[in-house]
Amino acid sequence: MKKSTIRVATDVGGTFTDLVCFETNIKSGQHSVITAKSDTTPPDFETGVLNVLEKGNVNPSEIDFLAHGTTVIINSLTERKGVKVGLITTKGFRDSLEIARGNRPDFFNLHYQKPVPFVPRYLRRELSGRMSYQGEESEPLDMSPLPNILDDFKSEGVEAVAICFLHSYANFAHEEIVMKEIKQLWPEVSVVASHQITREWREYERTSTAVLSAYVQPAAEKYLRQLASGLSEKGFKGSPYIMQSNCGVDSLESVSRIPITMVESGPASGFWGAAELGKLINEPNVIALDIGGTTAKCSLIENGKVKIMTNYWIERDEKSAGYPIMVPVVDLVEIGNGGGSIAWVDEFDKLHVGPQSAGAIPGPASYGKGGEEATTTDANIELGRINKDYFCGGSIKADMKSAKSSLEKVGKGLGISPTEAARGIIRIANNNMINALKLVSLNRGFDPRDFVLVAFGGGGGMHAVALAQELGVKKVVIPAAASVFSAWGMMMSDLRRDYFITHLADLVEGAGTDIESAFSEVESQAISQFKLEGIKETNIKFMRYGNFRYKNQEHTTEVPLSSGSITDQQIVEIGRVFHETYEHEYTYRLDMPVELVGIHVVATSEVGKLEMKEMPSSGATEEEARKGEREVDYALEGSHNATLYDGEKLKPGMEFIGPAIIEDSGSTTVVHPENKVYIDGYSNIHIEL
Amino acid sequence: MKKNIEYDPITLEIIQSSLQATADEMFASIRKTAMSSIIYEVLDMGTGIMDAEGEIAASGAGIPAFIGVLDKAVKVILQKYNKPGDIQEGDVFMTNDPYYGGVTHLNDIVLAMPVFSNGKLIAWTADIAHNSDVGGMAPGSLTGDATEIFQEGIRLPAVKVISQGETIQSVMDILIVNSRMPDTIYGDVWAQIAAVRIGAKRLQELAKKYGADVFERAMIEFMDFGEKASRRELSKLTNGVFELSEEQDDGSFYNVKITISDDLFTVDLRDNPKQLSSPVNSTKDGVMIAAQMIFKSMTDPYSPCNGGSFRPIELITEPGTVFDAQEPAPLGFYYEVELRVYDLMWRCLAKFMPERLSAGHFASVCGTFIGGTHPDTGRQYTIVEAQVGGWGGRNGADGNNAMFCGFHGETYNCPAEINEARNGLWVDQMSLNTEPGGEGKYSGGRGIVMDYRIRAEDGYLTAGYTRSKFPAWSLDGGNEGSSNYVEYLPLKGKSERFAFVSGLTLSKNDVIRVVTGNGGGLGDPKSRSQELIKEDLKNELITPEVAREVYGMMDA
Repeated sequence: MKKSTIRVATDVGGTFTDLVCFETNIKSGQHSVITAKSDTTPPDFETGVLNVLEKGNVNPSEIDFLAHGTTVIINSLTERKGVKVGLITTKGFRDSLEIARGNRPDFFNLHYQKPVPFVPRYLRRELSGRMSYQGEESEPLDMSPLPNILDDFKSEGVEAVAICFLHSYANFAHEEIVMKEIKQLWPEVSVVASHQITREWREYERTSTAVLSAYVQPAAEKYLRQLASGLSEKGFKGSPYIMQSNCGVDSLESVSRIPITMVESGPASGFWGAAELGKLINEPNVIALDIGGTTAKCSLIENGKVKIMTNYWIERDEKSAGYPIMVPVVDLVEIGNGGGSIAWVDEFDKLHVGPQSAGAIPGPASYGKGGEEATTTDANIELGRINKDYFCGGSIKADMKSAKSSLEKVGKGLGISPTEAARGIIRIANNNMINALKLVSLNRGFDPRDFVLVAFGGGGGMHAVALAQELGVKKVVIPAAASVFSAWGMMMSDLRRDYFITHLADLVEGAGTDIESAFSEVESQAISQFKLEGIKETNIKFMRYGNFRYKNQEHTTEVPLSSGSITDQQIVEIGRVFHETYEHEYTYRLDMPVELVGIHVVATSEVGKLEMKEMPSSGATEEEARKGEREVDYALEGSHNATLYDGEKLKPGMEFIGPAIIEDSGSTTVVHPENKVYIDGYSNIHIEL
Repeated sequence: MKKNIEYDPITLEIIQSSLQATADEMFASIRKTAMSSIIYEVLDMGTGIMDAEGEIAASGAGIPAFIGVLDKAVKVILQKYNKPGDIQEGDVFMTNDPYYGGVTHLNDIVLAMPVFSNGKLIAWTADIAHNSDVGGMAPGSLTGDATEIFQEGIRLPAVKVISQGETIQSVMDILIVNSRMPDTIYGDVWAQIAAVRIGAKRLQELAKKYGADVFERAMIEFMDFGEKASRRELSKLTNGVFELSEEQDDGSFYNVKITISDDLFTVDLRDNPKQLSSPVNSTKDGVMIAAQMIFKSMTDPYSPCNGGSFRPIELITEPGTVFDAQEPAPLGFYYEVELRVYDLMWRCLAKFMPERLSAGHFASVCGTFIGGTHPDTGRQYTIVEAQVGGWGGRNGADGNNAMFCGFHGETYNCPAEINEARNGLWVDQMSLNTEPGGEGKYSGGRGIVMDYRIRAEDGYLTAGYTRSKFPAWSLDGGNEGSSNYVEYLPLKGKSERFAFVSGLTLSKNDVIRVVTGNGGGLGDPKSRSQELIKEDLKNELITPEVAREVYGMMDA
């Protein structure tokens, strides 16, 4: 009989392909973890995946569950490596993609450059035919120009066609007819219609979504096909699950149809991990923070639920309007602040940290690879928060001279010492992150005191306590193996599909039947799709949400609905919950009619995720994990002699009190004076403030 | 440079970044809760944090034109409520009257809230937003027919609406009953009140945490920093006296004289026409904002924008002229006047500073107001919208297509799908404007052509466009852009073209065509690259005739 279950997560990044393998002993429930790293191998990405499996000594034929994440989609968008796309749209609207929304975020800059559309005007073509907002045909579709349009596309070298018609969210019949006809007339071309990806209104956003999806479709399909065949050639018997931006995984076949849904899958797995961890340790309200080398990302998890939205954009910032992609993406805030963020002093003697990053090369000054700019990491090492004798798990000898001189340069601009500069850098970096954390909590009506802060990524533990102090958070949790936490999250994922559909209805007595039928229609479509894929109806769980607003408002507030059919009795209750949720977020409520603008259905099914087993206290005391003492500068709380702990030797049941530093090969956790630390049955570090 | 030894510079910086974050939070809050599309889509609103004297320390805005408004309102409130006890913790004040600190027009209501720390006034939070209807002689309150401000809506001359946390219901009732859209104005004003309260709460937390004196010091330093940034760039601008006289669509001439020295940017607008009895006037405060906007763009678009940034500006006007209108002159279309002055200053300086300034853009809000009955719901609808248009060619690049004018910024047009559902009309097209105009080495960007088809009887159209007779100006031998206008295409009868129209009656199946201008070209069209001309042809943006005749293309 099999002794263990093997679960693998592979992740294709821009430079490296990573592997994390959890081998679970079936009898004891204990896990052993293998990690490996290999080069990413464009354009045949599956090679890198097979290489990394070999490197980690993982035999594909023994894998029980394989989850796969990738940045290939987002990279091919931002590096403009997709194919030439032709767009077919409603008569009178071919310029919608170029007019966009007309906004100019960089508004004092009179040389602002509007984002250039992914499809030039000559490849944007129109067909007559019209639907109304109520989904009724007001003018029949005229297909006669289509053959000529396709001939033009062929001669221009178009490889993918996007279709988006007005009001197709309400009725997609015209899109479907045109899609079928194109497949008939030109079977080789890749075709995508907007309704396959999104059923929400706003024609520019939907057109952009269809276009960007078409742009990456051919390459993504090939990538996934080759991944599947490469794995099966090596003996993998199952089917890989692909990480999605909505914090779930989906089957390879389903993702191949709309690969754009992978666009923001990287951060999604970490945030899902935080949600699952919260449930495991009975802390369902979590603020999740992921601090990496160049950015920090955060997301709020209320009652174990991640928030999924469809207002996602790429390349959008204070200097550019960016490009919208209306797919379900975990609600997150990202800022340019990580371990490698460069500190600089402007001409008005003001200190800034980021968003420029020293990257992997040359990296922070203390890497000794020629970097001269001080980074957050250099400040942390100067203050003794990072161990100079165990830098990057001992793999790099810290160049303290370069670190010092880089900090001197910063201090000189401000008229302060290098140590004071290092404190300043930490405080500014922390403040940047606090502003981001406030955006996901306070600004949305959530009191951080009701949440625990789960921090991960290379830099999570370094800053978490200071941030928690500032926000009033009572407890910080650093997950076991924080540096491979995203992979853990992937292995904790269910198969998940989010359906967002624009559906207008007044929330009044008598509306129950209409609203119920909107939901049940989506659910029965979902069930038949799942069945086609061999998933039993009894294994599917549904969650229902409604997006409501006061009549005439634009933005909606999402309200979870109880399971079971919506009847007229429930309308009153839904209204009550809406008023309450609205007041919670915006501090007031109105005595006004409420309307439903859209429905959101989440369908999930378990597909073999990791099961965690709580270990009893080992009986070992904290002394066994001690490895020394060090002078650590806590910036605002002064310098203290901190006890050093070896993170790998921390065992369930251990307890101690700060000041302390916990180090393992992948991360450092800074414990402030008087913090109470204990290690739970899953080896997570709990820090009480 | 001398360092401040008393205050930790890092702490001051952290407070300053929190001021900005607070203004942004207030902004996001109104955007999400407002009832009127002009607020949540057009983002015709702004938020700000002022110091105790009413100087603006930080602002959150969707529109550059709303950045310098709120300080003026708070200063008027401070003047009016100058006795001890007049201003209490928990109070909220309201003004919309440009003759009482409102700056713009009566539709824009300012809410302002004093912030106290241990009983001492330390700051103000305030916001401004365009409310859809504040009464007056016409729906939407804006009409070209007004001859006095009394016809443009209810006047709120800096009044208290909340006293120590308690709503003064009588004041609120007077406001609500004066609006044709009472539910909407009620919702919007509450969205604004919620935002000033959230801001005040955040500022109180900051003052409590760091101490009121440190908090106040951070505000002072932040404004000094804004001033330093402006002065440094100002000293790099070409010194001199620059003058321009420009004919307007109505045949009058606007004149400007700008004097730039190393430490002063003086705008002299004294020599200008008398104020009008039509609502095409502005207050001096309104014109000041135009000067502030162009000054900021020319100096340092990226440093924080606060009261300090604008200290080097001096504005001279003559009371009783269109740029310094006196009570009771109507002000409804003040924004077109503000834009004209902004564009006038831009044009006056452009050829001397090509690295900072491009050729002219369509330069009109193109305010379009359509109302009537929604044929499917039977409810009244009102469209209040600005339009996107073409921007001018710049050194090294063509102008942008279809963006909101310089007065606007982070403003969004209304999707046709939402427009059709909300307002019950058809949007038949939303296209780039391919009329000739704006040709150049670097051509002007394209305006748009948008068709609204009306689905019910008894609708109305009001519009006010400028740059209709004289299109966007060009630079260095480029061609002028094209005109902004609105065309009425009735199902029966003759079509008509307008720049200004008030309350035109619309019937079922009438089409309103909005046409916005192309931006001005920069440089001789004959020197445009052949590559770009071919691309324009392929994209059907120009005809073979234009390619041949205007651009001199050989094989077109």
